[in-house]
Amino acid sequence: MSLSITDYLSMPMLAIVLSIGAYLAGMALFKRLGSPGWCPPVLLASLLLAALLKGGSIDYADYREGAQWLMLLLGPATVALAVPLYQQMHHVRALWKPLLVCLPISTVLAAFYALAIAWSLGAPPELLASLAPKSVTAPIAMGVTERLGGSVSILMGGLLITGVAATACVSLLGKVFRITDQRLLGLALGINGHAIGTVRAFELGPTAGAFASLGMTLTGVLTALLMPLAWELTGLAG
Amino acid sequence: MAALNTSVLRGFLWLCLFWLAGDLATGIGQLPLSPGVVGLMLMTGFLLARGRMHADIAAAAQPLIMLLAMLIMPGVVGVFWVFDQLAGYWLAVGLALTLGTLLSVASTLWLMQRLLPQDTPSAPFRKTP
Repeated sequence: MSLSITDYLSMPMLAIVLSIGAYLAGMALFKRLGSPGWCPPVLLASLLLAALLKGGSIDYADYREGAQWLMLLLGPATVALAVPLYQQMHHVRALWKPLLVCLPISTVLAAFYALAIAWSLGAPPELLASLAPKSVTAPIAMGVTERLGGSVSILMGGLLITGVAATACVSLLGKVFRITDQRLLGLALGINGHAIGTVRAFELGPTAGAFASLGMTLTGVLTALLMPLAWELTGLAG
Repeated sequence: MAALNTSVLRGFLWLCLFWLAGDLATGIGQLPLSPGVVGLMLMTGFLLARGRMHADIAAAAQPLIMLLAMLIMPGVVGVFWVFDQLAGYWLAVGLALTLGTLLSVASTLWLMQRLLPQDTPSAPFRKTP
């Protein structure tokens, strides 16, 4: 009986056990640390998982192949985002005019600033494709980056940093501009800081949370619709 | 014996069916979209047409959304294996993410402050303890 670690990983159960175990341990550690806003629990969990993989000298590609079984659930989970979107639809009806103007502009700008900065500093097209959906909620952003030919792993790192940065920027600029309107703070968090910003918004209050989840989902759908088109037009594709 | 509660399972079946519908639509229409996003739009349209929430779908959606963070983890972990690919682009990536986000947050706040009709002032901005 000699099974190497790679043989075990070809059975997806080990990858699934490692993922769920690291996730739960990361959540527990997050609570133990007093739920720090600058360090989302998924980052802690990922650090743990990475340490486990490196410690067991498991190749990431092998792990990822097993973990595909888990990631399959991302499909129905993305569809499930329709439920909170539908629940916030009364806000859309009440404020459709400002939202219709602001959302597309904010969505485009969120990608544009990052791409313009990275491009002017010499980032190659593949890296740009990995950064483009940096403000979009992860399940949607992964699909977008795959279409554009970017690296999902780089995107994931970018999403984490963006989420934390957006949360810090909204707190900072909210104070500077003296903004107390929960709807505004929520939208800014959701549009720019995807799920990480939305979690922060729910800490500010239920209204901020509702507007953040609204901003997050609409930004995600808009980006998914516009980004591949913009990529074709600017000739970055291919 | 109580009847087996199949609500979550039925809701999950709905979600998967809408994902498949999204997959079919992207295939037929040659859309540059991921099946999940099209499924999300179809599902939103379905709920709007229905005019009220679907209890089974809500029952399945809630736990799935709570699990999203775990489901993206296999992708997040990969970042620890791509550091060498980023060599030479640290400044570009770092500034794009931090300065880019600062600018886009400022733009959103500025824009929405001008566009959003004034609300009766809600509870003042308070930090949760």
